[in-house]
Amino acid sequence: MTLLRIELKKIFRRPRTYIAFAIVAALAGIIQLALLVDGQSFVAFAMQGLEEQFAFSGKILNGYLVTYIILQTLLVNVPQLVAIVAADEVSGEAASGTLRLLLTKPISRTRLIVTKYLASVIYTLLLLVWLAVIGLGLSLLLFGTGDMINMRSEEVVFLLQNDLLWRYAAAFGFAALSMACIAALSMLLSIFAENSIGPIIATMGIVLFLTVISTLGLPFFETLKPWLFTTHTIAWKGFFSDPVPYNAIFQSGGVLLVYTVLFLAATVYFFRRKDIQS
Amino acid sequence: MKKSLLTLCCSLALLPVSWAGSLAPADLYQTLRNRVFTVKDYKADVVMNIRVSFMKIPQLRGKLYFKSPDKLKLVREGGLSILPHRTANMSLAGLLPVGHVTVIDAGNEEIDGKSLRVLKVVPESDAGDIVLTKLWVDEDRMLILRSETTTRDNGTFLMNLRFGNFIAYALPDEIQLQMDVKDYKMPKGVTMDYEGNAIPEKVTTESKGRRKKGTINIHYNSYEINTGIDDAFFKEKKK
Repeated sequence: MTLLRIELKKIFRRPRTYIAFAIVAALAGIIQLALLVDGQSFVAFAMQGLEEQFAFSGKILNGYLVTYIILQTLLVNVPQLVAIVAADEVSGEAASGTLRLLLTKPISRTRLIVTKYLASVIYTLLLLVWLAVIGLGLSLLLFGTGDMINMRSEEVVFLLQNDLLWRYAAAFGFAALSMACIAALSMLLSIFAENSIGPIIATMGIVLFLTVISTLGLPFFETLKPWLFTTHTIAWKGFFSDPVPYNAIFQSGGVLLVYTVLFLAATVYFFRRKDIQS
Repeated sequence: MKKSLLTLCCSLALLPVSWAGSLAPADLYQTLRNRVFTVKDYKADVVMNIRVSFMKIPQLRGKLYFKSPDKLKLVREGGLSILPHRTANMSLAGLLPVGHVTVIDAGNEEIDGKSLRVLKVVPESDAGDIVLTKLWVDEDRMLILRSETTTRDNGTFLMNLRFGNFIAYALPDEIQLQMDVKDYKMPKGVTMDYEGNAIPEKVTTESKGRRKKGTINIHYNSYEINTGIDDAFFKEKKK
């Protein structure tokens, strides 16, 4: 517990930690501002295929829809913000020359890695709570409540406003699991580097590359897609389907959990064998 | 008490029609049309079920406002409302051709164990969207129980009506409207769908862009009739 507290202090003493919170606030804020100013034309564009046949009345652009748009946009970028801290956990210590000193303390390497990982996960959770406050809280305040129209590629899901808060709670919960997986990947890459830039960029590169493969609808990638963790990090969207595909979401959660454990186990394995020189 | 008296009066008013035997097709159509158009407007508490292949919509409760012949608006407190774009086709008044028409007697058909008179109504003018309306009429009660309207640009509308508490005004307790809907599609790169373990459906050239059926069920719980609703009320508010 003391070790975890020390690791958290280290994370929250670094200015770069707060950059992520500032970026989340800035991105969410700019989306909210853009939708406040020009949301009607955005809605008109998105709904044009539907409005040929159906007439909608009421507040389509409400806080719930704005939050969904923010999450759709930001949850692609949040992994990069998670990497800023998680990828720095070991490599940052190596760069500043404190890693060897740290390992002279009577703490096992496994315990150190697990604690550092837990500290990264706590940071990730706080980042998501911040996203919930800024994304959901502020959007509801600015745009009000209402029913939500979730437009998928081949279907439109109409969700009643009293049926939405639990979906967001579940979506944020699932996003936490996804980000914990990204944090584990960053940690793994972190132990091979002597400075944090390399693992941060490597994490971003891997996530970006696999996301492109996961989202491309090319048949060539179809067999590969179920095995990529990036295919499953967007499973939070499943909570906005009707009925909710619980089986698929649990399956995706399972895949992410397996990847997280594998990344963490590999981190522990390689870190225990690592010759620490700085 | 008032309602019972009204029902009795209307029933008595219809008796001569029942006793008069079968009316000529044109007269029958005119009588039905006049009856439908006695309702100038109404507000009704409704429960709506919309089933369209590409839409997942829960049961909607709200107030449905109607003004003859073709204005319709659903209002849900604090929520979104959805109605087919051509709301005219959601009321019987909107499905009956306007102006001069040719009414053809198409014999009798049995529906739910009841023999109904079938009329085919063809508008004489080409100006409107309606090409042909087929009506299934319960002559004893002077009610239209089913209508099938073929339009020029919007496919075919089939409406089944069930009458009960509001029969005096020829207003249904429940309607079921079946209509043609066009397919809907958005690029996957935009929506970034989560497909889970679902196998993506293959889109064939036959299925692409074809019309599909959609149904709307409206259950009317109560009506407030001919209270007067301003036209401005039906104008679309900003989203």
